[in-house]
Amino acid sequence: MNFKLVLRITGFTLLIEAAAMLLPMGVALIYGESPIPFLSSILIILAAACVPVFLLKPKKDFFAREGFFTVGLIWVLFGAFGALPFWFSGQFGPYVDCFFETISGFTTTGATILTEIEGLPMGLLFWRSFTHWLGGMGVLVLTAALLPFLGISSNFLIRAESPGPVKSKLLPRASQSSKILYAIYLALTVLETLLLRIAGLNWYDAVTHAMSTAGTGGFSRMNSSVGAFGSPAVEIIITVFMLLFSVNFAVYFLILTGKAKQALKSDELRFFLIMVAVSTAAIAWNIRDIYNGVGECVRYAAFQVASIVSTTGFSSANYDLWPEFSKMLLVVLTLIGACAGSTGGGIKCSRILILIRSAAREVRSIIHPRAVSVVRLDGAPLPEATLHTTQCYFIINLFLVFGMAIVVGLDNFSFGTTLTAVITCISNVGPGLEMVGPAGNFAAFSVLSKLVLSFLMVLGRLEMFPILVLFSRSAWKRS
Amino acid sequence: MNIIIAGAGKVGGTVAEHLSGEGHSVTILDKTDAVLERLSNQLDVMCLKGNCASRDLLLEAGARECDVLIAATASDEINLLCCHCAHNLGVPYTVARVRGTEYANDLDTLKRDLGVTMLINPELASAVEISRLLRFPSAANIDTFARGRVELISFHIQETDFLAGRSLASLSSKIQDLPILFCAVERGDDVFIPNGSTVLAREDRVYVAGTPNGVHQFFKLLGRQTHRIKDVFIIGGGRIAFYLLVQLERLGMSCKVVEKGDDRCRQLAEEFPHSLIIHGDGTDPELLEEERMAASDAFIALTDRDEDNLIISLYAHQAGVSKVVAKSNRQNYTSIAHSAGVESVVSPKLTTAGQILRMVRGLQNSKGSAMIALYRIAEGRAEAMEFVAAPTTQHLGVPLKDLKLKKGVLIAVIVRGAKVIIPEGSTTLESGDNVIVVARDSGILDLNDIYEGGGLRAGG
Repeated sequence: MNFKLVLRITGFTLLIEAAAMLLPMGVALIYGESPIPFLSSILIILAAACVPVFLLKPKKDFFAREGFFTVGLIWVLFGAFGALPFWFSGQFGPYVDCFFETISGFTTTGATILTEIEGLPMGLLFWRSFTHWLGGMGVLVLTAALLPFLGISSNFLIRAESPGPVKSKLLPRASQSSKILYAIYLALTVLETLLLRIAGLNWYDAVTHAMSTAGTGGFSRMNSSVGAFGSPAVEIIITVFMLLFSVNFAVYFLILTGKAKQALKSDELRFFLIMVAVSTAAIAWNIRDIYNGVGECVRYAAFQVASIVSTTGFSSANYDLWPEFSKMLLVVLTLIGACAGSTGGGIKCSRILILIRSAAREVRSIIHPRAVSVVRLDGAPLPEATLHTTQCYFIINLFLVFGMAIVVGLDNFSFGTTLTAVITCISNVGPGLEMVGPAGNFAAFSVLSKLVLSFLMVLGRLEMFPILVLFSRSAWKRS
Repeated sequence: MNIIIAGAGKVGGTVAEHLSGEGHSVTILDKTDAVLERLSNQLDVMCLKGNCASRDLLLEAGARECDVLIAATASDEINLLCCHCAHNLGVPYTVARVRGTEYANDLDTLKRDLGVTMLINPELASAVEISRLLRFPSAANIDTFARGRVELISFHIQETDFLAGRSLASLSSKIQDLPILFCAVERGDDVFIPNGSTVLAREDRVYVAGTPNGVHQFFKLLGRQTHRIKDVFIIGGGRIAFYLLVQLERLGMSCKVVEKGDDRCRQLAEEFPHSLIIHGDGTDPELLEEERMAASDAFIALTDRDEDNLIISLYAHQAGVSKVVAKSNRQNYTSIAHSAGVESVVSPKLTTAGQILRMVRGLQNSKGSAMIALYRIAEGRAEAMEFVAAPTTQHLGVPLKDLKLKKGVLIAVIVRGAKVIIPEGSTTLESGDNVIVVARDSGILDLNDIYEGGGLRAGG
């Protein structure tokens, strides 16, 4: 393990975090709030980051293990340092709560420990939504785009951070790909901000909600989330953008380069759209007695489905009060999640497709024991290794869900609360059911549970392996 | 003509044998001594040793004065390079054999960019032939003329057929009016051209020419068009199987392929999502039963070994599969297969050699009426040829009833523009017509060769 290089890259990435804090500090100044929490955090981060950046002279060896290790380390440290402004402000409670909130932000989960959000300082709430935006596309992707000289264009890093079972590069150079991804990301965010502004939100709400949507995070300034605005236009805009951000960004790249046909042929995209349409219809039918008329049912069903499936976690209604069928469907959608290569979380539609298809192949192989067949995605055959990784990923996911549910069970909350809290954290959605439902929060959990759930959020966001590498003894050996 | 043949393998050897027999001066290039030695002993040809793509060797072989170069070495790349080099040295006609499936989509570009006149893909040609047989399961063999407008089909008369025991003239008007013609009858070792008084008998193999639709209607009346082939069972996943699968999947047939090689199975499975690829030994009856071979509509044996192909084809035939096709490069096995009941035998070697010979003969006649297709039928005892009538062709505009043709020669079909004409007494030949001629003996190289003596009937 080349620790010096790992630390140096981590240092540079932390510098970017420090720079990012200037923005919420500016917002704080505009609203006449104290910039001290941000200023002191920035100074602490600078002090911590400058040591490896200026003092270490690392060798250039950089392999997959270093890549995974760096990503894991950076995400944990980002949470640790990003929590400082909240802690210094004194309004977010103990450090563990601040850490949980920050990790929830960077991993675009949107699970909160705050019981009363409205009335908190604007600068801090801006930082809270801004962490979603930064974490959505990935902090290393950002670093690679901004600081190509670091050489972390080394594919290992980007691969570890971008979600999905099949990693493909858009362009030959990683830093170019990162720039294009961020450009698409930024353009869509700006577009949503403008639309929300036109729909009647003030600039502050438009920007923060657009950032929360873009990262598929789900932090809102309002206690009752997007539902608080009571505006169908805002809900529709956010529904559409939540879905847009949960589509593989490569699709937009293909459309921009004039290959729209190829983009629309994507199996995953079709699966995703069908899943959203069917779930929306089923839930709209299931809640027909609660709301008046088809329009209203579809509006609420579509918003909730889009919010859950994109793993954003906004809510426009308290779906914890909906019938069991709708709740079960939403929990299953929580596990499945968005498309690979998007800012969304969950297991990912492409993995589910691969799992379904390999299961079908197993059944076929009983009829034709000696048949050789391949599992395909978008018509292209998948290597057996990808299938193994996908199956393994799914199993690790299940083990973690049930294993960690046992630990969280120590807090003695109800079965629904415990299980959905774990599922919603590992899938980076945010709300679950009952106590952690759309109207609830995570404040009541013990310190242990909060740490476990934070850990699950990072695991989910980085798709297990970079964090699991940190637990492997051989990864810590010096080379 | 001066002809250079690069590569003295199965195809190269066969082509050399025929061309040198027809009086051309042939030079053979190859890199192995033993092959050249054997050929120079058997044939009246010149043999040179070396790398076929080398410019020096081509010059030594007389590329400057050469009319046709045929490259049929084992390597596609050497064949292409050889043709390209020859093209640059001024050889007007070059033929390259390219069999790699990777190049299948690039053939036209390669032809244009490298200056190759003709690219031949034996496996593709065989696959086309097999898929045609599967589309037309009642026929044992199918050849096409005039870019597919005319088909020549052979089939066996069965006892139950109403044709058996009747003279052609007594057939119902339904059949008489179809755009088809009975061209040749193979009875025992004898081949003859039928006329109105010919009585067809059981076990005769009959050749019928006509439009694809006409032939289709004929088979329908014959009661043979009862089933369409849906399930195809293929043994051996080589190149022919590859090209065949491409075509059969397009036709919507469901295919099962049994292949021995592990990696090859995977490749095929990746390439053909709609076919079932089975890893195993296709000559193992247990495997065939497990995969329910007997329930399939067609069985195609395409392994590397001719012997295996014939034996498993016989096995499939006995198991009751109605359409069985075997690949066999050895001509003497074909009659054994026929006598045992396997009617359709496909030979990539003969197909390729046939294609090359057709082209060379066409070149030779380009001054007169060009021969653009030649098929040997009835195990080589008769030929079906397609000519283009030129202004130099004799007796244009004279009704056929006034013409005197050689014995055993028949004008089967005339294609004028898009029109397919089954000749009658009043039909005439015109310049520019595609004329399909069936002849009992070979040796007709020009359309003018079909006339007896002056070519006109006494008093005509």
